[in-house]
Amino acid sequence: MFKESKLMYALAAAVILFVIAQSVFFLVKAWKQGKKLGLSSQTMRGTVTSSVLFSIAPAVSVVATVIVLAKALGIVLPWIRLSVIGNITYETTAAEAALNVFNSSVSEPVQDPQQFAAIIWVMTVGCIFPLILLPIFLKSIQKKIGHAAATNAKLADVISAAAFIGLIAAFIARSIVGVGTKDNPADGAGTLSVLVLVVSVLLMVILTKLCDRFKLKWLENFTMPLSMIGAMGAAILLTRYLPPEMLIEWRY
Amino acid sequence: MKSYFDKVHTWGRISCITTICVLFLVPIVFCIHYNAWPPLQGVLKGLAAVMPLYWATAVAEVISYAPLLGAGGSYLSFVTGNIANLKLPCAISAIENAKVRPNTEEGEVVTTISIAASSLTTTVIIALGVLLFRPILPKITAPESVFAPAFQQIIPALFGAIGASYFIRHLKISVLPILAGALVLVFVPSMQIGVLIIITIVVSIGGAYLMYKKNWV
Repeated sequence: MFKESKLMYALAAAVILFVIAQSVFFLVKAWKQGKKLGLSSQTMRGTVTSSVLFSIAPAVSVVATVIVLAKALGIVLPWIRLSVIGNITYETTAAEAALNVFNSSVSEPVQDPQQFAAIIWVMTVGCIFPLILLPIFLKSIQKKIGHAAATNAKLADVISAAAFIGLIAAFIARSIVGVGTKDNPADGAGTLSVLVLVVSVLLMVILTKLCDRFKLKWLENFTMPLSMIGAMGAAILLTRYLPPEMLIEWRY
Repeated sequence: MKSYFDKVHTWGRISCITTICVLFLVPIVFCIHYNAWPPLQGVLKGLAAVMPLYWATAVAEVISYAPLLGAGGSYLSFVTGNIANLKLPCAISAIENAKVRPNTEEGEVVTTISIAASSLTTTVIIALGVLLFRPILPKITAPESVFAPAFQQIIPALFGAIGASYFIRHLKISVLPILAGALVLVFVPSMQIGVLIIITIVVSIGGAYLMYKKNWV
């Protein structure tokens, strides 16, 4: 079958090796620069450890998306697309939009190589725009920020914290009042999403306080992944043991 | 002598351009090998459906994420994707743990290391997941699986923890953007997350600036 042919696997291997090489290159360069700046190896190793741990659970959810799309597109194309620029929500939408043009959908396997080729083109062209914007604009965006940061350190700290908070706020707002679809009882905001949010916040606050109180340096890198995984665990328990009439979404 | 930032931009630009080439290799090689060139009209129709939104989101994402990801971090993140749900929280947590300031050279180094480590982990896990767990994964992620709720609630679980790390230190700044985001969603339920992010960031920065001027923060 063309969707999972040797050629497709070879293309996937090429793309993935390229991505790995690029990450390793930037990692080595940043590490060397960190040494020059006097960052301790302990700090940098801690950064690697916490980032690896942090990425595992979301990465598994990406694999889940690959599997979902595999039904229509075979396993290799979603794998390539989600390893490069890919994003869970976009890729699913792009595939669905492209398939709809051919009166098909992600719930049915694609049979025609021409149709499949059209989908690859749509998914590729749809996603590459950031890679055109970055080489042109990133340097000037960063320069402006660097300049502002140099002139007023306290204000720059407040503003950059505010920018992070603004971003986080959008996702939190969505977990509180976001709209789901009618046939899925768990994709919009409701008791479950709010409780999971609360558990995650509480775990993080408790773990951070514990680290401060007892000077648990080793635990600091794990507070965020632990809170996240703990809250995901809570989602499983709540779904199982809360009476179904309490598991509601506010609106859909 | 070129500064570290200048060098990062040179490497980053090269990597973006090569990535574009590698990406286009996939449809081109496929079409040549199978001699299956799709009807142009079909491709254009598909693109018309997704491109306006995606390209607009790309502009929004580059503007709002790039300052937070650092230079090297931005180049890497936009190549490997999954920014909002993976690279960004990862970088924020790394900056927190290493106790460095964003937009300094130390911050730049830490975010780059963090995002590179995250990209490698993700790429390897996706590859392993695809190759090894292919037979069992549908069972884990199936809607009726015991683990399914955990994956459905990944966003509140993720952003609750990240949010908390900020609420602990910047509670005053945090209230306004969350209220604004919630209010917008109440009235415009179908608001795209990319647009919502811009609104909450503007509200958050505006509010923080006023509070700073009034010496509240």
